[in-house]
Amino acid sequence: MIATLRHYLSVASCFARLAVQRQLEYPLFLVSWLLMIPTSYFTGIWMLRVIVERFQPLGGWDFPELTFLYGLGLISHGILVVFFINTWSIDRKVINGEFDRLLLRPMNVFFQLVASYVNFIGLIDCIPGIVIFAYGCYLTGFEWTAAAIAKLILVLLGGVLIRAALFIALGSIAFWTKRNGAVVGFAVITLERTTMYPLSLYPYALQSLLTFLIPIGFISFYPAAEFLGLDDGGLELPLSFALWTPAVGIVSFFLAHGLFRLGMRKYESAGS
Amino acid sequence: MNAVIEVKDLVKEYMIAKKGRGLRGSIRSLLMPKKTKVCAVDGISFSIAAGEIVGYIGPNGAGKSTTIKMLTGILHPTSGSVRVCGISPQEDRKAVVGKLGVVFGQRTQLYWDLRLGESFELLRRIYQIDKAAYEASLAVLSDVLKLDEFIDTPVRQLSLGQRMRGDLAAAMLHEPSVLFLDEPTIGLDADAKHAIRGFIKEMNRERGLTVILTTHDLDDVEQLCSRLVVVNHGRVVEDGPIDAIIAKLTPHRLLVAELERPCEDLDLDHPAATIVRQEGLKVWYQFEKSRITAAELIADLSGKLPIRDLSVKEPDIEDAIREVYKTT
Repeated sequence: MIATLRHYLSVASCFARLAVQRQLEYPLFLVSWLLMIPTSYFTGIWMLRVIVERFQPLGGWDFPELTFLYGLGLISHGILVVFFINTWSIDRKVINGEFDRLLLRPMNVFFQLVASYVNFIGLIDCIPGIVIFAYGCYLTGFEWTAAAIAKLILVLLGGVLIRAALFIALGSIAFWTKRNGAVVGFAVITLERTTMYPLSLYPYALQSLLTFLIPIGFISFYPAAEFLGLDDGGLELPLSFALWTPAVGIVSFFLAHGLFRLGMRKYESAGS
Repeated sequence: MNAVIEVKDLVKEYMIAKKGRGLRGSIRSLLMPKKTKVCAVDGISFSIAAGEIVGYIGPNGAGKSTTIKMLTGILHPTSGSVRVCGISPQEDRKAVVGKLGVVFGQRTQLYWDLRLGESFELLRRIYQIDKAAYEASLAVLSDVLKLDEFIDTPVRQLSLGQRMRGDLAAAMLHEPSVLFLDEPTIGLDADAKHAIRGFIKEMNRERGLTVILTTHDLDDVEQLCSRLVVVNHGRVVEDGPIDAIIAKLTPHRLLVAELERPCEDLDLDHPAATIVRQEGLKVWYQFEKSRITAAELIADLSGKLPIRDLSVKEPDIEDAIREVYKTT
């Protein structure tokens, strides 16, 4: 058991080192991301400010709360982009037969898929996330107690797992359809719209969908509402959302991983 | 016989959707999809002993790659069984693949952007090779494959021949007992092919490595393999020593005679040989080894014909293979 763990850790750290080295081979590429990503998110939050100040609070959320929510959603997005970026290309890997090589190595395939690329460029996504979230905390007067920090960590962890589960499940569909459906692009946009803005903006049916069927609401909306003590205007659920998020995260990740394993059995490689 | 690989009644079926023509056909196949079963591998059995170099050949689409993928645990067979070193790759993939080296000629497992040595370091950790064994293994491989010249070069800058040497080394680092090579010499120049074949022979001799080779390059087969398994339409059509296959399929030899002057008035025929071609002053006689020897035929012909030059052509593996593909 410990030997296995050490084996996997040793390979994971080597994968990570090689990933950094590969990314450093293309420094200009890195710079362009460094310019584009923060610009995109800072303009996004600025637009939100203009809208709220000119018109009215969004579904009962004012600018400080919106900033908090936007930042929280963005941080979990950033963490996902660093550690789970390969889940975005499962469909492509299925169609091109790229799982062949992973199957030929005496290690777990899912581990190899996820660990083989640690996307350090994704840290750039975390920068605007942290800045905006910190600003949101300042505006809302968020209290940094030990309990709050522990809750925050649990929420982020759960949020990342929910996001990863969504991409793993979407990508695994390709094991059956053998089609590359560009669904991932849509999922990224949908996640942005539903985790960085209050869920209560959307009609009841959509809220239920995003709570029970695709549990996106647990990534940032419900936790933020609880942190800020807001009547979220959304669906009523018992228990603390800080506990719901990691629980939902673990369950959906588990289910998605099951789907992936089921799909691997249908894997047909490609061509000759 | 100590069998390293045992394949029994292996079958792999795919469902393939049959599409109708035009828009009408597309809509019809959407509403009522017609699926047909295609047998990529249709009941293949063979067994390979330790230390053999076996050529696994057949035309495109014969089921070669599908078989290799089932042997290495990538694909699950529809029915039949596979045992590699006594273990089923479908039941215990990790245990089997640790003993295998696999090289796909058209796909590299090396990191494109990094120096060759980095890929080796990753493999060292994946296969849990300890430092000392790794150094020793690498030293042997470097020596045979001349890796020192380019181990610090990014893989994207390697020539195809160098990259293939790198891929071979990567597949051999953990000292596997079986090596699968899927078209290892595709696109290589004569020198590089020579180096690769030399390496395979050396590993076979030194380590008793078992090698299964698929290729369309019949020089590979001739120089490396002692045994051939020929497949077509998902079935084994020939399995045996190369010489026996050639003798069985192409018992003919050719004698090419060049005459001194035009032959209108000459009687060219010979009772034990048939003229298969005639062009200018040259005549091609086909004859069977078992009926007449080359020496007898030459003696008979030169007795009645003014012959300037003679040559005898042995059937080669290419003829034999063409014969197999034609008849099955």
